[in-house]
Formats: sequence, structure tokens, C-alpha cells
Amino acid sequence: MKTQLAQLKTVRPGTGWRLFIIFAVFAALQPAPLLIVPGPQQQVETNYPGLGLHTRLTDEVEPWKIQRSLELVREMGAPWIVEFFPWAYYQGADRNIAWEHPDLVVNHAHAQGLQIIARLGLTPDWARPPDTALNYLDAAAYDAFAAFAAAFAARYQGKVQAIVVWNEPNLSFEWGYRQTTPADYVALLAAVYPAVKAANPDMLVLAGALAPTLEPAGSPWGLNDLEYLDQMYAAGAAAYFDGLAVHVYGLTFPPEAEPDPGVLNFRRVELMREVMTRHGDGDTKMYITETGWNDHPRWTRSVRPGQRIQYTMNALDHARQNWPYVEVLAIWAFRYPAPTRSYMDYFTLVTPEFIPKPLYHELQVYTGNSR
Amino acid sequence: MNYKFIPVIPAKRLLAALARFILSHNLLILLCWLVLLPACQPSGETWARVQNAGILRVGLDPTYPPFENADGGQLEGYDVDLARTLAEEMGVEAEFVYFGYDGLYDALATRQVDVLLSALVIQPERTRDFAYSEPYFDVGQRLVVPAGSPVQNIDDLSGLSIAVELGAEGHVQATQLARRLPNLEIITFDTAGEALAGVANGESAAAIVDNIAALIHPDPNLHIISLPVTVEPFALVVRIDDEQLLRELNQALSRLEENGRLESIRQAWFNQ
Repeated sequence: MKTQLAQLKTVRPGTGWRLFIIFAVFAALQPAPLLIVPGPQQQVETNYPGLGLHTRLTDEVEPWKIQRSLELVREMGAPWIVEFFPWAYYQGADRNIAWEHPDLVVNHAHAQGLQIIARLGLTPDWARPPDTALNYLDAAAYDAFAAFAAAFAARYQGKVQAIVVWNEPNLSFEWGYRQTTPADYVALLAAVYPAVKAANPDMLVLAGALAPTLEPAGSPWGLNDLEYLDQMYAAGAAAYFDGLAVHVYGLTFPPEAEPDPGVLNFRRVELMREVMTRHGDGDTKMYITETGWNDHPRWTRSVRPGQRIQYTMNALDHARQNWPYVEVLAIWAFRYPAPTRSYMDYFTLVTPEFIPKPLYHELQVYTGNSR
Repeated sequence: MNYKFIPVIPAKRLLAALARFILSHNLLILLCWLVLLPACQPSGETWARVQNAGILRVGLDPTYPPFENADGGQLEGYDVDLARTLAEEMGVEAEFVYFGYDGLYDALATRQVDVLLSALVIQPERTRDFAYSEPYFDVGQRLVVPAGSPVQNIDDLSGLSIAVELGAEGHVQATQLARRLPNLEIITFDTAGEALAGVANGESAAAIVDNIAALIHPDPNLHIISLPVTVEPFALVVRIDDEQLLRELNQALSRLEENGRLESIRQAWFNQ
């Protein structure tokens, strides 16, 4: 028995050391984590300086995917991106801001020579009442949101060109499932605008981006964008934004389809413009931060893939020839991190696996970047 | 009368001995499994309801001919025929409930229907909440060539031309293929039907179109290569806990395959 114990005593430490050495060897054989750095400064080559893409990098955690996405945007010849930066993701109850992910996106985009329109939204838990939705923001938190927007503007001076205050505030869903009021939104603009300008006078503050909708006054779902914009001006919005962000979708209509207040189509931009000029705001630029067509085989508001390509090209032509007041036209959406398995996948230009769709290649040719 | 002596063992000792026996024989896992098993049993609740009512509630979006269409007021299509035949095979009747395409899974989750049969592609991401039947149709991309063509697979296309619908998945596949086959010429058409006509009239050596397009444009001068370019299977969908119903559906599908009724439905809608 003693002999056996003695053997065990001599064997055990040896086994442990051997295991440790094997582990150490295997650990040494593991490749070092790939360091993704922004790399040398690039420049976008394009003959369409107002072309943009709405990227979806908010939920993209792998740096190489962020970098690859932005490289593809540059190679397609789009100098602008629109990207969402959710306040709720970054600022915790201790009020510290976790800048790691926005830094990653902004620095990679800047290295690719891209200009950024940053959409800010979503309220952290600590800044909203209990049991409210993430997109619920009431007057009590306007100053806190303005402070975050100011910090963002200061941090990304020279790298981010514009911020959009909130998203589609004319939809109840985007306004915390409450009936939407233009006056409330103007109060938010009034809080954010001076704070951002004080932090970074070069940062453009964009109002909107208004969603295209025909909902009448009193609807629980939202308010017609033309009516909403009219009421924004009536509430004194003009003093609190540098540009108006709008969303326009062609749906099943070609881009040339005549604008009509009762129809949602691409040229609804012209009706929005009429509201602006009617309120004496004709010098203010417009930014189309979402547009495009969908080619899902089953969605009732989609078109055929070939039509989607043709309509997109014609829309770019139309905007360039007829809309001098439109500064940027950004297509929704460049790529999703994962498939949504719904019609939404058919808005994109590149698959989650980074396979460009034919529309991507056509746009590349259109901007003079064909290989 | 002989009585055997039965010793009296205190309950505590008995339990302790039992515990030692269980632990020493690694029976703890077995015990847990036996306790938890009833909770894991597949629910036959939906199948029992279907049997009792004699009705199988089928959810679909009737805007996708030739699979389901109600444009003329009359519901018809491949899936409609399949649902009726399946229900008949299971001894019940199919009742159709319409939903928008993006509301189908919600309708199933909220138990408004028993099954979805609406040209739905199997989505691995959804298998936490839903279960899919055996596939009943593959909508993936197909290579279509002139009858008698020496082209038998996509690798034979080097130096030739391929017809595709502009912007469609076949176009994406052809673009990917062109990176491997540098001499491949891609010719785009506005529709899949025109791409196939381009092959039939000699403009292109082959076309890549989805299986539906390949089947609904029958042409004796064209041949669909059986090896698919991509695979996208359609299947029926049930809630994840309706294992009994799923089993019944799969068995009925299998019987329809064996007795040729599934093939009859295919031929009725695709003139195969």
C-alpha cells in the first residue's frame, strides 16, 4: 500500500507538469488574435458626390466585418454613410460613455475616406420611466440626450459631418408608442441644437428623419410627414436645424411617378420641399437618409430585381438633375449583419456573407468605379 | 405455514442505503431523466384537437402563384392541393386561414392555425420555436440547357454564355461563377422567362433560374439539369411542441410520395 501511495505521489506532479507543458505548447500554437487597424487613409473615387449608403454596423461586433463593409462602400463609389449610434447602448447609469464601438465604426469609416451622418436615438433605462420602450424620450430627458449628442459631436469633430436627432418622430412606434406631436419634437431640437453647436460648431444638426406616411391627424400610428413638417415649422423648428433628413421609398412606383400628397413615392421629396419653401426655409438643404426599392418575390410593395436596378439608377439621375437642394441621397441598406429572413433582406446591396448583389455592381459602374 | 423472517429496517437507514445504491450505480441521471421525462413528452394536444374537430387549420398567404393564389376569388395552387390531399390522407379536412407573408409565423405562434403551408423556405434560425416537415419542393436555382447540350453542370460553362434575370439570385450565382470561369459571358434579361427563351433560341448556352421559373416555362427544347445550383427547400411548419402533428404530417407526406399523389400535384401545376 505504501509503495502504491509513493508511486502516486511521484506520478501526479509529473502528470500535471506534462499536461501544463502540452497546454502551453498548444496555447503557443494558437494564432494571435488578428489586429484590425484602420490602415492608411483612403479616398472615395466617385462621380456622384451626394451618393450615400445606410450601413447597419450597430450590431456588428467583429472589427474585420466593419472594415470590410466600409471598404466595399468606398469601392462602390459612395462618399457618405448613414449609421445609427444608439445612446442606450453606450451610456450607463453611471453616466460614463462606452466609446469603444462607435470609435471602431467612426475611425474605420474615416480611414476609408467616408463622410458620416450619425443617427442618434434610443433612451437608456436610467433616462426614461419604468416599463417604457427604448425609443421613449420625454421632456425630462431632453437635456441628458442633448448632453450625449454634444459629447458625440465633440469627440468626432472632423470625422462625423452631421447628426440626425432621433428617427422618424412622426411615427408613434418611433416615439415610444405614444401619439406623436411635432411640438414635442421641436422642443427636443431646441435642447439638442445649442448643445451640439457649443461642442462642435461644424457639426450639422439634421431634423427628422421623417417617415413617409399618410396617417391622418389623430391616428394612433403616426402623422402624415407633410403635415408633421408643417406643424414643426409652426412650432418654431427652423431655428434649430441645419438640414432636413427625410426618408422616401419608391415602393412599386418608378422614380418618375408624379408626386401626389395621397401617394407614397420617390418624388414625395418635392412635396416636402414645398413645405420648406412655404415657410421661407428654401436655403436649407435636404438629406435623404433612406431610399430605395425592394425586390422580394412575395412582398406586395416590391418590384422585380431588374426594375429595382433600373429605378435606382433613374432615381439617382432624377435627383442629380432636378433636386439641387438635396445634399445626400443614401440607399437603404448596405448590408445586415445576419439575414432577417423577411422582405427586409431584399433592400440590401450586399449579403451578410459579403456577396455583392447585381445592384452593387451597377452602382459601382454608375459612379465610375467599374473594374 | 412457514414465515420467513423479515427484518425491520429503520426508514432513515433504508433511504441512506437507497441513496448510496443510486450514487454508486450512477443512477442519479437515470432518476432525473425518469422524473423529467413526462414534461418532455411531445405534446399531442394540437393533433388531438385536429382529430376531434376533424379540421386542420392551414395558414397561408394567398398571393404567390402557382403555390397559392386567391386573385379570382377562388383559392387555388400547389400548396392548396397539397394541404387538401394531406388532410384527406390524415382523415380530416383542411381549413384555410389567410395572413400576410410577414405575419405567418406570428399566426402559428399565437395558435391561430395548426400548420403553415405557404411556400416557406426552411429557416434554421427559427427552429427554436418551430419545426419543419420533410421538404416537399425545392425552389433553388437550376441550370437549364438546350436539349442535347453537352453542358451537364456549371463547370462546363467555361467560354460560353449564361442567361439570367437581371438582378435575381441566378444573376448573383452567375456573377460568383464568373470569378471562377473567367471566360463566362453573362447575358441579362428582364425576366426569367425571357432568359429561358434566350437559351431556346440559341442566344445563350444555358440559363440559371429558380426552379419555379424553370418548371412554369416548359419547353421541349430545354432540359433542366437535375443537379441543383442551390438548394432552397419548401416545408410545412408547426410549433416546436407539436411533435405528434409533425409526425402525422411527415407520414402522410411520405404516403403521398409513395402512392404517386404528390407527383400528380406537381404535374398538375408544373406540367412536368
